[in-house]
Amino acid sequence: MDDPIRIEIMKHLFVSVAEEMGVRLQRSAYSPNIKERRDFSCAVFDASGQLVAQAAHIPVHLGAMPLSVQACVQALTFAPGDVAMVNDPYQGGTHLPDITMVSPFYAPRESNGRLMGFVANRAHHADVGGMSAGSMPLSEEIFQEGMIIPPIKLVCSGEIHQDVWNLFLANVRTPRERAGDLHAQLAANRIGIERMQGFMQRYGSVQISRDMDAMIDYGERMTRQLIAELPDGLYRFEDRLDDDGITTEPVTIAVSVAIAGDEVTIDFTGTDSQRTGSINAVYPITLSAVVYVFRCLLGLDIPANSGCMKPIHLIAPEGTVVNARFPAAVAGGNVETSQRIVDVVLGALAQACHERIPAASQGTMNNVAIGGWDRGRQQPFTYYETIGGGMGARPTGNGASAIHSHMTNTLNTPVEALEYAYPFRVRQYTVREGSGGQGSFAGGDGICRSYEFLQQAHVTILSERRSYSPYGLAGGQPGHSGRNQLQRSGELQELPGKCRIDVQSGDILRIETPGGGGYGSQSENY
Amino acid sequence: MQRIGIDIGGTFTDFVVHDDTDGRVRSFKRLSTPASPEIAVLEGLTTIPVVDSRVVVHGSTVATNALLERKGSATALVTTRGFRDMLLIGRQTREQLYNLVPEPIIPLIPPERCFEVTERVDYQGTVVTPLDLTEVDHIIQSLQDQHVESVAISFLFSFLFPDHERVVAGRLRDVGFFVTASHELIPEFREYERTSTTTINSYVSPVLDRYLAQVQQTMQPAEFHILQSNGGRLSVEQARGQGVRSILSGPAGGVVGARYIAKLAGYENLMTFDMGGTSTDVSLVTDHLHVTNEATVGGLPIRVPVLDIHTVGSGGGSIAYRDTGGGLRVGPQSAGADPGPVCYGRGGQQPTVTDANVLLGRLPHDGFLNGTMPLDYTQAVEHLNLLANNLSVCASTTLDRPQAVAFGIVQVVNAHMERAMRVISVERGYDSRDCTLVSFGGAGGLHACDVARQLCIPRVVISPKAATLSALGMLSADAHIDYVQTLMIEGDVSFEELEKHAHPLVAQGVHDLRRQGLDADSIEVVREVDMRYRGQSFELSVSLTPDFRAQFDAFHERRYGLCHHDAQVEIVNIRVRAIGAVAPPVLPVHHAAHSDVKEAIWCRRPVVLQGQIEEVMHYHGSRLQTGHRVEGPAIIVQEDTTLYVGATDLAVVDQYRNFVIEVGV
Repeated sequence: MDDPIRIEIMKHLFVSVAEEMGVRLQRSAYSPNIKERRDFSCAVFDASGQLVAQAAHIPVHLGAMPLSVQACVQALTFAPGDVAMVNDPYQGGTHLPDITMVSPFYAPRESNGRLMGFVANRAHHADVGGMSAGSMPLSEEIFQEGMIIPPIKLVCSGEIHQDVWNLFLANVRTPRERAGDLHAQLAANRIGIERMQGFMQRYGSVQISRDMDAMIDYGERMTRQLIAELPDGLYRFEDRLDDDGITTEPVTIAVSVAIAGDEVTIDFTGTDSQRTGSINAVYPITLSAVVYVFRCLLGLDIPANSGCMKPIHLIAPEGTVVNARFPAAVAGGNVETSQRIVDVVLGALAQACHERIPAASQGTMNNVAIGGWDRGRQQPFTYYETIGGGMGARPTGNGASAIHSHMTNTLNTPVEALEYAYPFRVRQYTVREGSGGQGSFAGGDGICRSYEFLQQAHVTILSERRSYSPYGLAGGQPGHSGRNQLQRSGELQELPGKCRIDVQSGDILRIETPGGGGYGSQSENY
Repeated sequence: MQRIGIDIGGTFTDFVVHDDTDGRVRSFKRLSTPASPEIAVLEGLTTIPVVDSRVVVHGSTVATNALLERKGSATALVTTRGFRDMLLIGRQTREQLYNLVPEPIIPLIPPERCFEVTERVDYQGTVVTPLDLTEVDHIIQSLQDQHVESVAISFLFSFLFPDHERVVAGRLRDVGFFVTASHELIPEFREYERTSTTTINSYVSPVLDRYLAQVQQTMQPAEFHILQSNGGRLSVEQARGQGVRSILSGPAGGVVGARYIAKLAGYENLMTFDMGGTSTDVSLVTDHLHVTNEATVGGLPIRVPVLDIHTVGSGGGSIAYRDTGGGLRVGPQSAGADPGPVCYGRGGQQPTVTDANVLLGRLPHDGFLNGTMPLDYTQAVEHLNLLANNLSVCASTTLDRPQAVAFGIVQVVNAHMERAMRVISVERGYDSRDCTLVSFGGAGGLHACDVARQLCIPRVVISPKAATLSALGMLSADAHIDYVQTLMIEGDVSFEELEKHAHPLVAQGVHDLRRQGLDADSIEVVREVDMRYRGQSFELSVSLTPDFRAQFDAFHERRYGLCHHDAQVEIVNIRVRAIGAVAPPVLPVHHAAHSDVKEAIWCRRPVVLQGQIEEVMHYHGSRLQTGHRVEGPAIIVQEDTTLYVGATDLAVVDQYRNFVIEVGV
C-alpha cells in the first residue's frame, strides 16, 4: 500500500500542473471554443501514456486523451523538445476540431535522462477546414469534416516544423486565429514540462515515477471500492437518437451493465450499425462517456486517471455507432451521441442505485455553426456555439434549468462579445418555461435562443432530442423535446434537428432546447 | 485628532484607536453581534474616550452577509426585451463538473420580479429599437404591488448608449425606488457580469446604507469612511448607494494592514498569508496592491475591482480523514468554532489540523489564549490514534503512528497552502523568492515558516498586532476610487487619443476625491488600458504610457509564456484609479532591550520537527523585546497566535516588535 500522505500531497502537485496549463491555454487562445467556452483539457501522463492527473475541464476528453497520447507513443519516437500533434479520430482522436498536442518530459541528464512521461492538451479549434465553416458539418464521410492529422511531430527538438505548420494553416478558413491557438497550445505544454522538471529536481525522478504509479493505483482502488458498493446484477437499458441527419430513421443505443464484485462490464452489443450521417462515435468517445458516469458516482474532488478505468470493461462492437469504423463521418458523435451513451448507462444504473441517478437531462448540445463572408468587416467568419437545456430531476429535488449537462460544460459567448465580432444579433435568450418533465420533482427547463441575421450566412445545426424526449424516472414525465424554427418574411418554418440552411438578412432562427425528465409520479408524495 | 478603525468579523469586532496627541495605538475586541452588527460597534465605541474630532474608518461584513445569507432588499431587475432570465442562465455552466445531482442555484431575484422593456442598441451604440416608455409605467405598478424596494437596470450595450437606462432610471427614482443603472456603476461590456454586479449593488446597498446611517447618527464622527474591496477607503457620503464596492472589505483590510506593517519593517514585495479556522486567504503585493476585475462572491460574479485575494478551504479547524482510496485528506470540512477541534473538549470527534499541532507539541496545550483555555492533549492523541489505525501509516524509527499521522496532516495542509500561493505568484509570473511572507490570522504562525521554506521565500514577518491587523489596515488605507469605460477600439490608436478618452474619468476621479476633502497635492491618478490581441477574450491591464503596446506584449509574455509582436491588438477598456494619500498612523518605535532573551523563556519540551523529536525552547512572546534573537527550533507563545520557528530559522524582534524570521533551507 502506498504512503497515504504522499498520495495527497502529490495529487495536488500533479493536478496543479494540469490546471496551470489550462489557465495559459484559455487566456492566450483565440478560438471562442477555447477562450470563452473552455472546450479544452490538459493532463499529465506517465511514460507508458497512462493518465496520471487531469484538471476538471471537459468530460468528453476524459477517456479519449490517454488514447491520443498512446497513439502518439506508438507511432512516433520522441526526443527532448518534441511536440506531437494529432486529431485523427481513428488514431486516438474524437472529432477533427479537437487537436491534441503531446510533449514528452525527461529525467535530468545527471539521473539518466530517461523518458518520464508526457504532458498533453486538447483544444477545440473553431475551424479545421472541410465542407462547412466551423467544421461540424452534416457530413457523410470523414474527409468532408476537415483536415485529418495522424500522429505527427509539429515541433522537433524545439524547432517548429514550418512545412507542417504552413500545410495545416493553408487548409483552414481562419489561419491567423488557428496560428494563435496552436501557439497557445504549445505554450501550455511548455509550462507543463517546466513544472514537471521542477518537481523532479525537488523530489528526484525516481520518486516522481513512483508517485505517478501510486496515483494510478489510488484511482483504481477508489473506483473498485465504488463498484463494490453497487449491487451485483445485470442491468439493461436502451434509448434512441432521433436520426443521423441523412435519413429520418432513429438510431438505437443499447447497453447492458454487469456489476460483479468490484468490476463492471459495459456492453453495447445490440446497438445499431454505424450510419452515413456524422452521429458515429469512435471508441474513445464511448470510453469517455462511460468513465464520466463512474467518475460522477465516485463523488467530488477525486483524481481522474487511468487507474479509474481499470476495473471498467468496455465492449463496443466495431462498426456500430458507438465504435465506428474508418471512414465513417464522426463530427456529431463527439457532441451528440456521447450524450445519449451517458443517458443509457445512467438509465441502466438507475436500476442498480435509483437513489443516486437523476432522470435524463437534455441529451444534446444543440450545436449551431454560423459562417460566411462578413461584408461589414470584409473577412470570412465562422462561429460555433452550443446551448444548454434542462437537467433531469433528482431523486431529491427539481433539476436545474438552462444549463449544460454531462459531457460538456462550455460557457456561452456573451451577447455583447458576439455582436462585436459577427454579423448577427441575439434577439432572445430566456428560459423555456414549462419544458421540464413533470413529476414529484420537475425536470429543469430548457432555453429559447433566437438569432437575427444581418446578412447572408450558412447555418449548420446538429441537435438531438427533437423527436425522442429525455426520459423521466420512477414515474416522472419526460422532458419536452426541443425544436428548431426559421422565421422568414413573417412565416415560421419548422427545421429538422440536423440541417444546413442558407439564411438571408432579416431571417430569425429560433432554437428551443429540451427540458430534463421528471422524477417520481406526481400523485405520489415523497 | 482621534482615528478609529473598526472591522466587523464573524466572531469578533476589532477596534484600533490612534490618537494624534500622544501617538498611542490601542486595540481591543468585542464579540460580534451578527443579528444587529451595530450593537457591538456602538458598545465598543462607548469605551473609547470622546474627543472633538473623530475620524472613523469602517470595514464591514454587512453587505457581504446580506448577499451570502440572501437577506438583501426586495430587488427587481429590468432588462432589454428577450433577456429577462440573464441572471438565471448565467454562463449556462454548472459549478461542479462531476455532480449528477447539483442543487439548482437560487438567483437573487425571483422570476416574477424580472422585467423586460422593449428597446435595443447595437454594438456601435446605434438604437435599433427605440425605448417604449409606456411599458415602464406598467412595471412601476407591478413593482409597487410586489413591495419592491430597489431596482437594477441593465440594457445591452448601455455602456455605449446610456440614454435608455438613464430615462428608465429617472422614472423609477422619481417614484422613490433605489435604482442602480449598469452604465453608472460599470460601463463595461459582457452583459451577464455587468448585470450581476448591478443587481448585487441594488440588493445590498439599501441594507448597508441603513446600517451606516444608524452608526453615523449615534456616533457623529467628523469624518466617516468605509473600506472598499479594492483596499481603498471612500467617504460614506460617496459610498452610499454603492454597497457592492465594499463587499470584500474585511479581507481587504488585512492585506492593507499587512502591507503597512511590512513597509514600516522595510519590505515591499509581499505574500500575505491569513490562515484562520476554516479557510486561508493569500494575496500578492508588489509596489502596488493587486486587484482583479474577475471576482466572484457566493458564486456570483462581481466586476468592480477587488483586491486579488485567493482563498482556499483549509485552516486550523480543517478535518482530517481517510478517503476510500486510503489517502489522507484534510478539509474542506471544518470543525468550525463549535464543536471545534477535538482538543477544545467541546465534543469534537474528528481530528483537525489544530489537534495535529497539539500532538506534535507545536501548539502547547497549556499556552492557548494565554493559558486561559486548556487544550485536551489526551483526547487529541486518542482521535489521531484512531485515524492512524484507519490509515496504513507506518511508525518510523523516530515517530510513533499517531505522530506520523499528525506530521502528515501538517504536511498535507502545508501543501494546500503552497498550491494557493503558487497560483498568485509563480503562475502569474512573479518569483516567490523575491517576496516576504506576512502572516496574520490565528493559525498562520504554526505554518508560515514551513510554507515559506517550500516556496523558497527567504523571510517571514509576523506582527504583534496580527489579530487586529485588518482594523489597523482601515486606518492606513488611502482614499481610492475606480472608474472604467469600455472603448472596444483598434489598438493602432495613438497614445494622445487614449489620453483624451481617459480625461473625463480622470477629471471625475479628482473631483470625487476633492469632495472628500483631499488636497490636490495628495491625489495621484493611475491610468490603465485593458488590452488583448484581436480575437482573444481575456484582457490584461497595462499602464497608459506612450509605449503601452510594448508593455502589453511584455506582460503577455510574462503571464502566458508567449506574445505576438505583429498581431493586431484591441483596446477594450480604459481604467482610472484615483488615489488620495492618507497619512497613516505612526506606530511607536521600541528601543533595543537591555534584558536577556533568556528572561523570555517559558519552558523546554519535546516537539516533533521534520520527522524527528527534539527538546525545544518555548518563549513568552510578550516578554521578547526589540533586538532579541531566537534561534530555531523554537516555539513562541503569544496571546492570540503561536509561532513555530523551524530548526534552521532565526527569529529577530524588530523595532516595531514584529517577529522577522529568516527562513533557512
